[in-house]
Parts: sequence; structure tokens; C-alpha cells
Amino acid sequence: MKTGDMGVKTTTLEKALEWGRSNSLWPLTMGLACCAIEMMATQAADVDVARFGSEIFRNSPRQSDLMIVAGTTTKRMAPRVKRIYEEMPYPKYVIAMGVCVIQGGPYVDGYSVVMGVDKVIPVDVYVPGCPPSPQALTYGLITLQKKIRNETDR
Amino acid sequence: MYKIISEETDKSGMKVLNIDKADLIELMEDYRNRRYYLSSITGVDMKDHIDVIYHIHNFDKNDYICVKISTSDEKVPSIANIWKAAVVDEREQYDLMGIIFEGHENLRRILLPDEWVGHPLRKDYDLNKVQYISMDRDGNEHVSFDDKEGW
Repeated sequence: MKTGDMGVKTTTLEKALEWGRSNSLWPLTMGLACCAIEMMATQAADVDVARFGSEIFRNSPRQSDLMIVAGTTTKRMAPRVKRIYEEMPYPKYVIAMGVCVIQGGPYVDGYSVVMGVDKVIPVDVYVPGCPPSPQALTYGLITLQKKIRNETDR
Repeated sequence: MYKIISEETDKSGMKVLNIDKADLIELMEDYRNRRYYLSSITGVDMKDHIDVIYHIHNFDKNDYICVKISTSDEKVPSIANIWKAAVVDEREQYDLMGIIFEGHENLRRILLPDEWVGHPLRKDYDLNKVQYISMDRDGNEHVSFDDKEGW
């Protein structure tokens, strides 16, 4: 290696595509409640999520392939979440962040909260916690990247 | 001239005025002329009657006053003509508590869809009858008791 001789690396086209896709995730933020603050902290310099190639958190579904649903999904918001998810181009992935999104959380008997966003849209990775720390969300992101990288194996 | 039924001081030192609901408009106009502003409107379901509580505030004196009225027929006079801030607050109380503010120009639901059955913060609201919301292509919301027709 020191001589500059890099040798030959063989791979399949699928593997190369998966590698590229997993390391350039473009998140769409669905900041619905307090978890969104932790999501902003994940983006900030302290636990810089840009190290994992998912830097540009935008509020537009254009070009995005990852939706981070952060915060309590109310019944009134659920149709809007679904509509924005449908506007995203394929392939698309969803991270459910926080217990409210996973199963209702403290609002488990509430009249206004959806008991889990997986009733509305399919979820790939669940990040538990109330709210999850930025490190937990980063770990969820790495888990999703591993999942994308091994997609053809499954 | 309005009549104050009883006046007390709560733990934080705030003045609490209990008045009859017929005197509400007159009292609020008096306080509006003394440069008081509306902070919030809340409702309390006491099972046999409903309390409506107004918090008003004077910035110059930094003085908070709590005005309480009670109603047995869910109807109270609207103070939206005195303070514009009451328009939104009264709609919220109508939505969640079912208090009817007479004289309000646009009294309809604000947090929940128009088709929602019942008022969720009332004590007789049945939480076991779960309601689900869906949205059609035009963005209109529909409420259903069937979980297959919404979320």
C-alpha cells in the first residue's frame, strides 16, 4: 500500500449502488414535537451527523430518501405525514424517533394521538427513548445504513 | 354596575373575582378601559356546572387578575368584541369543553376537525369510542369510528 499500488477491488454493481446510497442519505425532517429538538442537536456540531453523509436536513420531499418522524404524531397530522411520505421519490426509508412515534408513548390512552406511526407509513428503524439522545439517533442512522448496504443479501 | 360575589387571594397572591355571568361584559369593559389585556380563557367541568376562568393582565402595574364565572346551561356571553384575543381562545374552549359563547362571530372547532363527535375535555366524554381522521384528495378531513377509514 505504501508504494501506491492499490491493487484491484472487485464488487457487484448492486453492492456499489447500495454503498453509495447508504452513505448519501438525504433526510426529510418531520419534526412534530419535542424530539425535533434532539434531531436538531444531531445535526449540530457536537454530534455532527454530516460525518455519515446525511447532512442536508430539508423540509421538502424533493430528492430526499429518508424520513425521520420525530415527535408525537397526532391524528390530525397523520394524513399530512402520509401525503409527504408519498411525495418522496423511491427508494425511501423511515426512521421512527421516540416512543410517541413508536406506540403512542405517554399518550397511550389519548383521544388525539396515533398509536404508532407504523399504522400510517412503513417504518425501517425504531429509535426508542423520550426523547432519544442525538447519539441514539445517530446509532439508528448507522443501523439503517447497514440495512441498506445488505439489501440484496436479504 | 356589576356586582362582585366574592373576592379572594390565591396562593400566589393573585386576586380572584367570582362574578355572575350576566355581569361579565360590564366588568370586562371596565377592566379594558383600565388598560387590562386578556391572557387566557379556560374551562373547568364541575359535572353539574361549568366554570369559565379568564386571566387578565395589566402591563403597567404588572397585575394579574383571575375572573371566574359559572354556568349551568353551557352558555356564556362572548367577550370577543372587547378583546380580539378572545376569538381564538373562545373557539378553543368551544372545541374542547363545549362551552357556547353567545355573540361570537365564528364559533367553530379550531383544534379538531369539524366532524368530530363530542368535546374531549368534558368529564362525560367516552374515551373508549375512538375516532379516526382521514383526509381526501382535496384536503378535507373526515372523522370515522372505524379504524380502517383513518388513523
